[in-house]
Amino acid sequence: MGNLQFLLRQHVGAPCEPVVKSGDKVKKGTLIAAPAGLGANIFSSVYGTVQDVAGDRIIIEPDKVQEEEFVPIQDGSHLDMVKEAGIVGMGGAGFPTGVKLGTDLNGGYILVNAVECEPGLYHNIRQIEDNIEMTLKGVKYCMEISNAAKAVFAIKAKNKKAVETLRKAVHDEDNIFIHLLPDIYPMGEERAVVREVLGKLLDPTQLPSAADSIVVNVETALRVAEAIDLKKPCFSKNLTVIGKLHGGNAPHVYMDVPVGTSVEELIERSGGIDGVYGEVIMGGPFTGHSTALDVPITKTTGGIIVTMEFPDLHGAPVGLLICACAGNEARMREVCTKMNGNVVSVGTCKNAFEMKNGTLKCQDPGNCPGQAQKCLQFKKDGAEYIIIGNCSDCSNTVMGSAPKMKLKVFHLTDHVMRTIGHPLYRRLTVSKQEAQLPNGK
Amino acid sequence: MSITAETAKEHAKDPAVLCCRAEEGTVIQAANLEDPAIFDDLVDSGLLNLDGALTIEQVLGAKLTKTCDSLCPLTADVLEGIKEIEIPAPVKEEPKEEAPAIEELQAVVAPAVQNVPGGVLKIHIGEGKDIDIELPTGLGGGGAVVPALAPAKAEAAPTGIQEAEKPAEEKVVRSLTRKHYKITEVKRGPETKIEGTTLYIREGIEQECIDSQKLVLDLKIDVITPEQYHTYSETIMDVQPIACKEGESEVGSGVTRVLDGVIMMVTGTDANGVQIGEFGSSEGYLDENIMWSRPGAPEKGEIFIKTQVTVKEGTNMERPGPLAAHTATDHITQEIREVMKELDDSLVTDTETFDQVRRPGKKKVVIVKEIMGQGAMHDNLVLPVEPVGVLGAKPNVDLGNVPICVSPLEVLDGCIHALTCIGPASKEMSRHYWREPLVLEVLHDPDVDLCGVIFVGSPQINAEKFYVSKRVGMMVEMMDVDGAFVTTEGFGNNHIDFASHHEQIGMRGIPVVGMSFCAVQGALVVGNKYMTNMVDNNKSESGIENEVLACNTLCPEDAIRALAMLKNVMLGEDVAAAEKKWNPNVKSTNVELISNVTGKPVELVKNEQSLPMSQKRKEKYD
Repeated sequence: MGNLQFLLRQHVGAPCEPVVKSGDKVKKGTLIAAPAGLGANIFSSVYGTVQDVAGDRIIIEPDKVQEEEFVPIQDGSHLDMVKEAGIVGMGGAGFPTGVKLGTDLNGGYILVNAVECEPGLYHNIRQIEDNIEMTLKGVKYCMEISNAAKAVFAIKAKNKKAVETLRKAVHDEDNIFIHLLPDIYPMGEERAVVREVLGKLLDPTQLPSAADSIVVNVETALRVAEAIDLKKPCFSKNLTVIGKLHGGNAPHVYMDVPVGTSVEELIERSGGIDGVYGEVIMGGPFTGHSTALDVPITKTTGGIIVTMEFPDLHGAPVGLLICACAGNEARMREVCTKMNGNVVSVGTCKNAFEMKNGTLKCQDPGNCPGQAQKCLQFKKDGAEYIIIGNCSDCSNTVMGSAPKMKLKVFHLTDHVMRTIGHPLYRRLTVSKQEAQLPNGK
Repeated sequence: MSITAETAKEHAKDPAVLCCRAEEGTVIQAANLEDPAIFDDLVDSGLLNLDGALTIEQVLGAKLTKTCDSLCPLTADVLEGIKEIEIPAPVKEEPKEEAPAIEELQAVVAPAVQNVPGGVLKIHIGEGKDIDIELPTGLGGGGAVVPALAPAKAEAAPTGIQEAEKPAEEKVVRSLTRKHYKITEVKRGPETKIEGTTLYIREGIEQECIDSQKLVLDLKIDVITPEQYHTYSETIMDVQPIACKEGESEVGSGVTRVLDGVIMMVTGTDANGVQIGEFGSSEGYLDENIMWSRPGAPEKGEIFIKTQVTVKEGTNMERPGPLAAHTATDHITQEIREVMKELDDSLVTDTETFDQVRRPGKKKVVIVKEIMGQGAMHDNLVLPVEPVGVLGAKPNVDLGNVPICVSPLEVLDGCIHALTCIGPASKEMSRHYWREPLVLEVLHDPDVDLCGVIFVGSPQINAEKFYVSKRVGMMVEMMDVDGAFVTTEGFGNNHIDFASHHEQIGMRGIPVVGMSFCAVQGALVVGNKYMTNMVDNNKSESGIENEVLACNTLCPEDAIRALAMLKNVMLGEDVAAAEKKWNPNVKSTNVELISNVTGKPVELVKNEQSLPMSQKRKEKYD
């Protein structure tokens, strides 16, 4: 096991302040950094020695022998224990869970996000299949803390085994239900979950609390249960490693990986990179970003993807269609550069709403606002290829006009989809409507 | 892109097309529909066939019986619950159908003029695309109209009538007199002087011109007589009248002296031989590259005093370079002006007087002229001491391109020394302002009250464009006008602020008519909902910037159309939407209709086809 690196910023908010120094011995569960504002405690995930406290990270050399036992958190109210455990939104957003659950829902909803919308990731669904008991406990704690009357699991209907497991689990629960979702991207975006389950479309600036709800990732719920029942600090992460690996492109699902483990170590554990490759992505194919092998995983890392090589456009003129559902413009440009394309036109989806911090949010995730005009723009600007990052519905719309205009379409996720043997995002062939279970059970 | 309920309402009669895939059972809402604004382009790209498509008002609320994909026109076979809407027979430019409605207009507008029943006339005016206008027919038109209707309608609209009949006391604010001196020969001699009808230019003045400007490396003077029109020239940067003020007179009033039969022409390159131009240049044989008799161009028969200026290499696209070429040339003109000031009145061959007339009680209008201010040769010297001079003028770029109010007579007296020489076909030379057709047309129309002219520069940066445009809006608001013209020269970049001027004026509820070269090549790059009334200045056969000097600039025929259009818009008439592609027939139809109504033929100017074919045109354009 190599050194572990704990980034001081693994959450929404300000970086944490280190509370250890070089040479300190730490145990699994030792607090090593505490928030300096909005944030969450960071704990060592191993027994070892602090090697360095440098800039944005703490580096810990692990002991050769690692015990299972960890330093428990203090007893306290359930909400305090969630805060103490340093739990953040583990679906990727990283918002401190203790802050989120502090909202009084007055009998509203906990929406459990088990959508696992990014193709190629499997750890959320595996968690439901393998550890429903603890997960359900976590959901109930979330309900209790936030004063919610009901909870609804949002899950794609295609995950038949997980849905069956869930059905059994909630069968005798009066206040917990299941909402099935179609297999299109994106369904797991927070506001998409609210819209699908509660039928209320929020503005990009609104939080789910505007619909009397809190959306909690299924792994976050699990960590809540662990914090309260086991007094376990949040120092491990479930994730999926997949891609161009020795042994094939099947997913490698890992539970409780120590936070701070390097990407390289996880890839090696999964067989190692098979020959030449395009890039390594941290996160999902849509919203993830390219990463380096020495980068550590954090509390929000969900996926590590090794992709095949990029196609070579030989400098051909390319139009980029930026949207809120995938990488930002910088990421789109990066992929275009890796494909050796030359950006001649940039258009932004009408539904992409720019937030105060400059990020984009979709005004109606998964529902297309029309793209023909953008394609006309790309054509006019001389593009021969376009790269899109759009959702299933928007990609379908683009395919309705771009090819007829002789614009060749690439999707931001193409190299990933080809690598993992998933259909490319082009035409939409499934319905956006999904039949629901009787009474949500 | 999907539309809002508001847009759906505006486009209620337009075809309904799905913007995105919609599944069976979907109840059609505005958000399901593609914006009709892009249909033309989609049809052109072969992406859309609107045959059989229902209208937006018919499909809203109807239920889709089948999953349909994006860009699918909604037809009766995939919907249930279509709204039955009576589709009125398409109202096209049939003057008869519109006649009764117009009768009312007629009563309001023209009773004072003549008690002749009129009809309304729908006029279609070309723009980048084309436009319909409706014109109140003042004189003897509209045979289909029942005369008896007129008085009744007139009574029905008493307010309008009172307004029109308000005793309008015309007021002459100021006058400008032009004294013309005929020149038949231009020679070089030991001193600059005018003897009879011969103008002598001092030999050796060239070196002084060169020495006067650091960036000017060389300057040649050629006197081009009509026999020498087939002479090669570098790109023409400006055409200027040779004029001076008399005595204490200032530009815009008093007396101006002007030489007839001769003009100054600035041409030039940089030291590397690069033409001082941007989008195209007019170098070549003069007779193949000048559109004779345009307001800004020479008349056939005139003598050109042509300078060929060489500026320091690389300064052709920087502000100081072109400015130095103009200033160096003005050294010669100024010496001629000094001589002119001493001329005896016995040499005056013609005198004309321009009155700046205000007509209280008439529809008050303002002309906003957008002039180029992006820098390099895109600059204008505003309000020099002498007509089209340099001394005393401020470059509008240095003034921040903010709007400046001038009187119509200042325009006609050379208050703009134009550095804008490119693209040759659409930019307004200095001489253009001297003979500005829209100013003349509006100033002389007894039915409108021209309160003034606003010049506004077109800056390079968008933020600055909107900055100056907002000032235009405020200024026009304060003038309390009933209508405004916005003209521009060139095309492309300047259309951004051109569009913004429309918005700023239009959003204040003031009708606005725009004038620009658009046609094919200059099609508007931006637009907004106030840009509904457009007149295209194009004259070229193919609708392009053909690099023939002044070919596509504003001419009297355009001024007539624009004025007719604004009068109608001020009366609340709608101008029909443009056709989807530039169609030159629209203009000819409209002109014909106008002359039928006014009884005055509108003579259309010739275009480049009347010129000998240049090699460049042959290769590049025609």
